[in-house]
Amino acid sequence: MTIVLERPVRPSSGWLTQPEVSLASMTTTPQDPMPEGVQPDEAQPDAGQPQADRVEDVRGLFEEQALPFMDQLYAAAMRMTRNPADASDLVQETFVKAFAAFGSFQQGTNLKAWLYRIQTNTFINTYRKKQRDPYQGTIDELEDWQLGGAESATSTSSRSAEAEAIDHLPDSAVKDALQSIPEDFRLAVYFADVEGFSYQEIADIMKTPVGTVMSRLHRGRRLLRDLLTDYARDRGVVSVQNSRSKK
Amino acid sequence: MTDCGCEKAKAELEEYLHNELGKEDAADISQHIAGCDDCSNEAHVGEVLTHAVQRACKETAPEDLRSQVLLKIRQIQASH
Repeated sequence: MTIVLERPVRPSSGWLTQPEVSLASMTTTPQDPMPEGVQPDEAQPDAGQPQADRVEDVRGLFEEQALPFMDQLYAAAMRMTRNPADASDLVQETFVKAFAAFGSFQQGTNLKAWLYRIQTNTFINTYRKKQRDPYQGTIDELEDWQLGGAESATSTSSRSAEAEAIDHLPDSAVKDALQSIPEDFRLAVYFADVEGFSYQEIADIMKTPVGTVMSRLHRGRRLLRDLLTDYARDRGVVSVQNSRSKK
Repeated sequence: MTDCGCEKAKAELEEYLHNELGKEDAADISQHIAGCDDCSNEAHVGEVLTHAVQRACKETAPEDLRSQVLLKIRQIQASH
């Protein structure tokens, strides 16, 4: 600017071009072809067919990141729907919805929790309605004694036998027991014990307060434990002395 | 004989087993469990229960589900 002002004002036609040159030389000295902020990663590979390649990339990313969760989502779907055909349908619907919404997924956040949220929503909104068993919506309000989950009065020695017995039960017995406890309890147990989600993550997935998650999980595990211990005792897997009084 | 340690440990055992306690509380319970047969057995039952559920819930998605999902995704993409 100062350079321009120092120049004598010339009434000739040349003065219009003069400052232009000096200004141009000032502004163009850095000779940056591309300002910072433009990512070459994004610009270069898409150079040919930007649209098509971008879409290919999204699908590639989705297949790479989301599809590895299929076995887990299927296992959860089996616990939700209780049969392979519905479980497959649910998982497929989950991936379709997830792919459609993948643009809104924030990279770097918990993809597994995001997928589970979609699947749980889908299950609740569609599959649960189709199921024969009426949803036991008031289960959270039942008292522990009504669920038969009274504090166990088992002795220390028989408690280690209890652990031993549960440890040796066939998977089918554990599955049956899981299927027989109320659905919200079962899902809380699944999310915490199988998937290792935190109480807060489960609360987000099940859209319920953390306190409810805690209660569902603890009561679900209590019910499960009692069922498995009873099963073990009935089958004589290990003699479990249990003085617990049941309703 | 009253043992406040047992009371706290039993009340918070589930949260302890699910890593939901703060460091200090978790350390208190760890310490109590280490010295108490009763609570240690109770914690063991809880752990065994978790492992039993994990074991029983392992599933492998059917092969055709995988191909169906891939196909669906490509169809959706093509329709865009």
